[in-house]
Amino acid sequence: MLKIYQVAYKNLLRKKTRTVLTIIGISLSTWVLVSLLGFNKGYERALNKDIDNMGFNLLVTAKGCPYEAATLMLKGGTGLRYMEENILRELTKYKEIEKTTPMLMQAVFDPNKGESGGITSYLGIDPETFPAMKSYLKFSTGTWFNNPDAYEVVMGYEAAELEQRELGDMILIPEKNVELKVTGILKRTGTQDDGTIFVPIRVLQKTFGMTGRLTGIGIKATKKADMDKLEEQLYNLPDVQVVSLAQVKETIISLIGTAKIMVFSIAIIAILIAMIGVINTILMSVFERFQEIGILKSIGAMPADIFKLVMFETTILCFAGGILGNLMALGLSKLTDLLIRRILPYTPTGELILIDGRLVLAGILVVVVVGLLSGLYPAWKAASIRPIEAIKSEGV
Amino acid sequence: MRTIVLCLILLLSATNIFAAVGCDLNDPDRDVKRLFPGSTGYKTKYVSIDKKGGNELFKEIEERLGDKFNGIYEKIDVPYTIYEISKGTVTIGYIHGINQKGVYGGIQVFLALDLKSVIKNFYIQKLTAKYASKFRDSSFGGQFINLSLKEFYSYDVSSGTFNIPDSMVIINNPDPQSVKDFKAVLRAVKKNLILMDVFIYSNKHLPLFKKGN
Repeated sequence: MLKIYQVAYKNLLRKKTRTVLTIIGISLSTWVLVSLLGFNKGYERALNKDIDNMGFNLLVTAKGCPYEAATLMLKGGTGLRYMEENILRELTKYKEIEKTTPMLMQAVFDPNKGESGGITSYLGIDPETFPAMKSYLKFSTGTWFNNPDAYEVVMGYEAAELEQRELGDMILIPEKNVELKVTGILKRTGTQDDGTIFVPIRVLQKTFGMTGRLTGIGIKATKKADMDKLEEQLYNLPDVQVVSLAQVKETIISLIGTAKIMVFSIAIIAILIAMIGVINTILMSVFERFQEIGILKSIGAMPADIFKLVMFETTILCFAGGILGNLMALGLSKLTDLLIRRILPYTPTGELILIDGRLVLAGILVVVVVGLLSGLYPAWKAASIRPIEAIKSEGV
Repeated sequence: MRTIVLCLILLLSATNIFAAVGCDLNDPDRDVKRLFPGSTGYKTKYVSIDKKGGNELFKEIEERLGDKFNGIYEKIDVPYTIYEISKGTVTIGYIHGINQKGVYGGIQVFLALDLKSVIKNFYIQKLTAKYASKFRDSSFGGQFINLSLKEFYSYDVSSGTFNIPDSMVIINNPDPQSVKDFKAVLRAVKKNLILMDVFIYSNKHLPLFKKGN
């Protein structure tokens, strides 16, 4: 004797095309939903990693935007905003500050890069304080500079790869015609450091005529420090602005939030469409089997049996769609990652889509629950069919 | 705050200006038209020595070049980008670039070749050097036009000379101080032509190499 779920399964097989199309509709909705929830988790994790990898929790820069993109593109280093190095001394007075590291960013226009030239940038760092603050940086080969005045560079993994530099090779700062020896190549970090060319800050200052000037100071506060209070205090320093990385994270997340709301709305619409699809499929199936359900009831099937039968059909459809949708979300996560990177103005360097077991289960659960709700009306409709009316009818 | 955030975003990403391994034209739509005047379109193909013939082919290419491959840009699985150039529906030639280690950084050398594998245009997309502009000048690039692998087989990569006593092939070094980069550019051209012979021209110059040996 056939069990109720076997009957449900066989019923779905009777209209294969319609069943497949409904499953595809549900799976597409699941894909969108799971990918978006995965994005929600992944983006925040990647952003946290990027910010943690900066090694400091506050950044003091010159007032205005010292890294203004158009300035970099048009004027190279000449258009950057600077602050005086003596601010470092001021910072030592704050007991909440554990460590500081000065930085100088410089960019030069290289006319021999591409058809119309390109920009090469260098980050001047203090060999004594910067490596300690960025302890996660590991060397593929070589080490940090031999001394603070050495005409040497440490290259990020990708920078070295592009320039085909190995230990002991030379690089040239265009315009300045200054040669620097490669003393170390870093391991890949998956952060912006991979593309960075690090130079001792004093050498960079001297090369670009920027002695005593900086573009930024990284600050690591003590664990007990009240960050808001410290930030406020730092604003008392002349002509600087303070950027708290925690605040930056919150702001980026809130900026992305608008995009997220939009995309979640799309996901809800997709789920609604899938729900309508489920209702339509099951209802059609109920109408088609009007007489058949009447006969079933006349031979003893109770309304609850018919209700269960229809709900089983709905569950099978939703479960299959949920599984397929999750597989799509997992299989196409790289593609989704790529698409999101193209759409959003800023994306962190790590994986943007994070789909784990809990999310997969949650995705299936949501789809099945939503599907079951959609199946209620057709199931009720089927359960309330009167046997005599159904048998008398000529079919739908 | 929004401005500060944008500044930070730039700080996070400003130095991340390097692309992954590969030698592609920076602006193919513009560069193809300039390197192949009269062309109306292009298709991009990706090939690698690994997929084309594996280790055996890798060794054969090294032999034909007369030098060992080294560095990350000369591994067996490096993907080479070939631009197939068309005029209407007809293919009129190819553009192919390779990376070569230079004194101060990577050099990217592109050749525009006709269907007979003759150089029709020469372009150094990137070269960091004090005298880089001399190498990118049309007077230097012009010396390669109408040459092919037939001439470049006689170029000895290690000595940096053309080994045919009565050779008419003379490529002048644009700067006497730049011997290493000059040799690197010529090695890049020879390697480029050999790879194109393997990937596109069905090894039509291979018998010439075997005969020479």
